[in-house]
Amino acid sequence: MEILKPAIAGTLESSDAQVTVEPGERGIELTLTSSVMNPYGRQIKATVLETLERLEVKNARVIVVDKGALDCTLKARVECAVFRSCGQSAANIPWGGAVR
Amino acid sequence: MGDTLTVISPRDARAQRQVDRLLEQEGIQRDGNLDYTCGIFDSDWRLAATGSCYGNTIRCLAVDRERQGAGLLNQIVGRLMEVQAERGNTHLFLCTKPQSAKFFGDLGFYQIVRLDNLVFMENRCQGFARYCAALEKNRRKGTSAAIVMNANPFTLGHLHLVERAAAESDVVHLFVLSEEAGPIPFAVRKRRVQEGTAHLSNVICHDSGPYMVSAATFPSYFLKDEDTVVRTHAALDLAVFRKIAPCLNITRRYVGEERASRVTALYNQEMIRRLPELGLECRVVPRLEKNGKPVSASAVRQLIHDEQLEDIRPLVPDCTWNYFHAPEARAVIDAIQRAQNVIHQ
Repeated sequence: MEILKPAIAGTLESSDAQVTVEPGERGIELTLTSSVMNPYGRQIKATVLETLERLEVKNARVIVVDKGALDCTLKARVECAVFRSCGQSAANIPWGGAVR
Repeated sequence: MGDTLTVISPRDARAQRQVDRLLEQEGIQRDGNLDYTCGIFDSDWRLAATGSCYGNTIRCLAVDRERQGAGLLNQIVGRLMEVQAERGNTHLFLCTKPQSAKFFGDLGFYQIVRLDNLVFMENRCQGFARYCAALEKNRRKGTSAAIVMNANPFTLGHLHLVERAAAESDVVHLFVLSEEAGPIPFAVRKRRVQEGTAHLSNVICHDSGPYMVSAATFPSYFLKDEDTVVRTHAALDLAVFRKIAPCLNITRRYVGEERASRVTALYNQEMIRRLPELGLECRVVPRLEKNGKPVSASAVRQLIHDEQLEDIRPLVPDCTWNYFHAPEARAVIDAIQRAQNVIHQ
């Protein structure tokens, strides 16, 4: 999927994460801020990158402000931001396909 | 429990009074520039937290001290960021007290510069570093000077300043404040500067970008009095300029002498005092006078405001004159005439 415009999903409340995606040119540029960076930073990063890969996002600037979200929450926020960024949030969401 | 996060309309006098009271209680003044305000009300509709936006900034954040530590500000900031995203602003800025900077760091904001009483932040890691790196492409050999101007609108006074700098330096980097803060749009201001300086081959025009903040929108709500505000604004400007200068090899900055405006005079005074401390020369150019009066952009705006458009002729170069006599300027002239106070913009 191609990131067409900036989009944001999620909140800054505890146990959630705020994900911003923007068009980019140089692959995936991920910036991560997390309240649990030390123990879970690597896993959060892996989850975000894996979700983006599944959605076939090749180029994007991705900013994640994590407040201790579970993996499932993180995935949902990344997916939502990506769909919003390419105008797909209203319809055409590939349930059971890229979204699992 | 039972909290409600909701937008507060500028017309909702009761809620706005609650905002004022909460800000005052937390030692903050209401900023003069706000274009969106929200708040969290408890079940008795008492205001527990509030925050606002202006342009691409967030400001005037406060939480009732009895409700602090419960993550209310996260909800407020989250909402403000959503509102900004809807407007198409994902690159956001804020100024805060140094003791609150860590909190914003946890919300994904990064420090641009830090002063004794203020930290300027953006929600982009490396944002300012990238801006500086982009500037470096315009680096030239020889003595490089800088001028920062609003050119609101471009006058013979501005031209005089640029010509003087161009004559005394090998290269002049001319920054036009890109922020929208008044009836004359940035695109119009910049275009006139480009036209008016086209005959000077060693002048390079830049957009100031989001890092040079104009006095009109400088978020000053948590600073005590006007002098502190002006000094802090000057200090912020200097701290940013200090990082920009080496990217372009700038060793000198030109400022126009100021007598009419106390605020600008105080600002210049800080420049003159502190630029040499940073190893940069500050040259003050006396203001150009016409018929015994100093040429200033505020005088031009005042004349336009008073429907004396023909009287701006001795104050402006051809490019500005022609612009204001073209049909495309009609909307801008109307906006200037509608504005309450055109002097301080």
